[in-house]
Amino acid sequence: MSSVAELGASIPDRQRFPRLRAMMSDPVIAIAVLLVAGFFITAAFAPWIAPYSPTKIDVLNKLQPPSAAHWFGTDHLGRDLLSRVIYGARTALMIAIVSVAIAGVIGMLLGLIAGYGPRWLDGILVLTFDSLNSLPMIMFALAIITVMGAGTGTLILVIAMTSFPSYARLIRAQTLALKNSDYIVAERLLDASPPRILFVHLLPNVIGPLIILLSMDIPVVIMVEAGLSFLGLGVRPPTPSWGSILYDGYTSIRSAPYMVIFGGLPLVLATLGFTFLGEGLRDYLDPRMKVGRPA
Amino acid sequence: MIRWNTDRRKFLKAAGAFGAAAALKPGFAWSADGDTLRIRMEGDLQVLDPAFMIGAIEDVIMRGIYVSLNRLGDLREGSPWSPWGAEKIEQKDPKTIAFTLIEGLKWTNGFGAVTAEDVKFSYERVANPDNASPWAYQFEQLDHVEVVDERNGIIHLKNPYQPIYVVALPYYGGHIISKAATEKAGGKYTTEVPATCGPYLFTSWEQKQKVTLTANPDWPGPKPDFAKVEIYVVADDQAAQLAYEADAFDYTKIAVGEAAAVKASPPPDTTLVEAQSTRYQWLSINMLSPRLQDVRVRQAVQHGIDVSQILTGAYNDLVPRSTGVVQPGTPFARPANLIPGGDYEKAAALLAEAGASDVTLTLTVMNDSSRTAIAQIMQASLEQAGITVEIQPLDEAAYWGVGDKTQGDGYKNIDLVLMDFAGGVDPSENLVWFRPDQIGVYNWSGFDSPEYEASYQQIITETDEAKRVELSRRMETLMEESGGFIFICHQPLTLIHRNSFEPLIYPDGHPNPVLFKKKA
Repeated sequence: MSSVAELGASIPDRQRFPRLRAMMSDPVIAIAVLLVAGFFITAAFAPWIAPYSPTKIDVLNKLQPPSAAHWFGTDHLGRDLLSRVIYGARTALMIAIVSVAIAGVIGMLLGLIAGYGPRWLDGILVLTFDSLNSLPMIMFALAIITVMGAGTGTLILVIAMTSFPSYARLIRAQTLALKNSDYIVAERLLDASPPRILFVHLLPNVIGPLIILLSMDIPVVIMVEAGLSFLGLGVRPPTPSWGSILYDGYTSIRSAPYMVIFGGLPLVLATLGFTFLGEGLRDYLDPRMKVGRPA
Repeated sequence: MIRWNTDRRKFLKAAGAFGAAAALKPGFAWSADGDTLRIRMEGDLQVLDPAFMIGAIEDVIMRGIYVSLNRLGDLREGSPWSPWGAEKIEQKDPKTIAFTLIEGLKWTNGFGAVTAEDVKFSYERVANPDNASPWAYQFEQLDHVEVVDERNGIIHLKNPYQPIYVVALPYYGGHIISKAATEKAGGKYTTEVPATCGPYLFTSWEQKQKVTLTANPDWPGPKPDFAKVEIYVVADDQAAQLAYEADAFDYTKIAVGEAAAVKASPPPDTTLVEAQSTRYQWLSINMLSPRLQDVRVRQAVQHGIDVSQILTGAYNDLVPRSTGVVQPGTPFARPANLIPGGDYEKAAALLAEAGASDVTLTLTVMNDSSRTAIAQIMQASLEQAGITVEIQPLDEAAYWGVGDKTQGDGYKNIDLVLMDFAGGVDPSENLVWFRPDQIGVYNWSGFDSPEYEASYQQIITETDEAKRVELSRRMETLMEESGGFIFICHQPLTLIHRNSFEPLIYPDGHPNPVLFKKKA
């Protein structure tokens, strides 16, 4: 009798992870993976990659065009633009991932409770989700930031607050569909506690679509952060942000158009990368999708 | 009989030919070369009642549609005043000014002649505290206006008030409105002006787009050079500059950062104006803050900021550092600051002397690019002095609330605030905001000096220029010695206009289109 390892070893390479292989064979998705990986590496190793401090002001050398010393030129305060773009990746990804993660956890918990809990609790929670969903994100963000002041914490709070209802709605729907399944009914008959049913049995079966949704929301959040920073309501200066680079560039667009180009380019690439990656993940993780399914 | 047969192809051909012809035709719209002057302002109007207007475009319009007793000259020439709606203005004694209106001033909509009674109504309405006019300070010293006859009147002041000719009479609350028309309109109005009398008529208003003024045929004074003035509303300086280059305007303010590029390569037929405006900028250091109650800590901040970096970084060295809030170049301005700044060792020594370590202060700033850039330069500068600064950018509405005592005790807890105000010609106009009664209003430093208040009361009544100069300089020294202020500059005013005319800019930085002169 052959071992599992032996069985695995006997599978030809081209038959392993067939959907992943199919996904990566799509050049658009492969480029998206490279882009996203590139942004993560840039963000993680920013202090080692950036040639200068992103906050070092040198007003005598402001608005210098791209050169050997400053590949992307300098901004309106003489700061190295390449370094600010590199650190801007860190800001964008940090805010996007933290806020989406917080929203995801809150949405998951409330969605499970709404779907599995009593009807009256479901009613209250759904009303809350729908109320929050009805608020336009940007308007809500502007109102909160006006009251609390701009800053990374406020930004994360605003994004998490406006994002979690859609995640909760998704998890609730999945939970409702599964709560009367045979294996859940069996657990209940065996006197399993609700937390055990929720987190051990239901959660693993409902979390897949949430992960896809979360990954597809990351570019949206990056754009929201950049948009609010462009309006001067995002991260506090001097923290580098692609949105604030764009805004500073816009005010000097006629004399230093490269600021807008170099500030906007990573935003475009990150958005494209995460969007295409999200779509690829959806195809890969969704069993209903035919693409990549083994013959 | 001619039969008109057309099809899609013919129609497209004809439309294309028409479009090409329209595009090739130079000066398709009337421009400054013709009889229309096209100027650009940043915001739209809301109120055309002088007592309750907000300012900017509203006052520019009012310079055309209302009359005032006198008018101002160009900012670049020191804004000298001369009679306008009055053929004679005579200072009878320090508290009495007699005036005679020019003949033939007539209200629109059949409200008859402009009379001394209208002048009385207009000024006393602004001065009346019950009306809560934001421009009441202009007529703070007004006792009453005596009507002698239809065209003659006498302004009686409570105290001698030297600045009245440049602060009160020529603009803002100094515009004269019709008593009968205003009362008929219910005593107050916004954009439905019941009657006007000025060189121009208010012809049309396309909200957030354009205001059109046309010459008033009944105006008895000197005719303006342009028969029509179109005021376009464009908020953004960059967009406005593009529009100017596309020949959409003849006059527009531009971003300070663009001045060098425009100077090097100006658009065709264009003059660049670079002037020092009356808009003064300073840093408020709030002595009411628990973190800044020791004067040595405040002085450390004063020593720790290198203002020259701000002038280079934010203003391209277009203007020098100011020595106070009073207009530079006038005798009222001090020759130098007591603390030049940029001395990090001195700042650190003062902190050590005060026993202050790990000083962290919040710098509140309005959230536009220029102001946040200045805040970042200050932050970097103070970091070298051992003071950590956290920048708090706020939008305009939230910003104006942080120092407002009507919104709670928060004004006692702010640390540093970057501020700038539009100033005036007379020093008292700029010094008024730092009186003790302005704490929690516009005096966000918590600066509370009885000597300053006494000097202010003296400077507005004093007629001896030398004494006024001495008072003005002393008041600014008191401000600086308190540790509550760092004076930065009077901001540069950068604008472009067609060579075909010479603009006239009022001390508030806004044009008076009535007095624009075509060049021969």
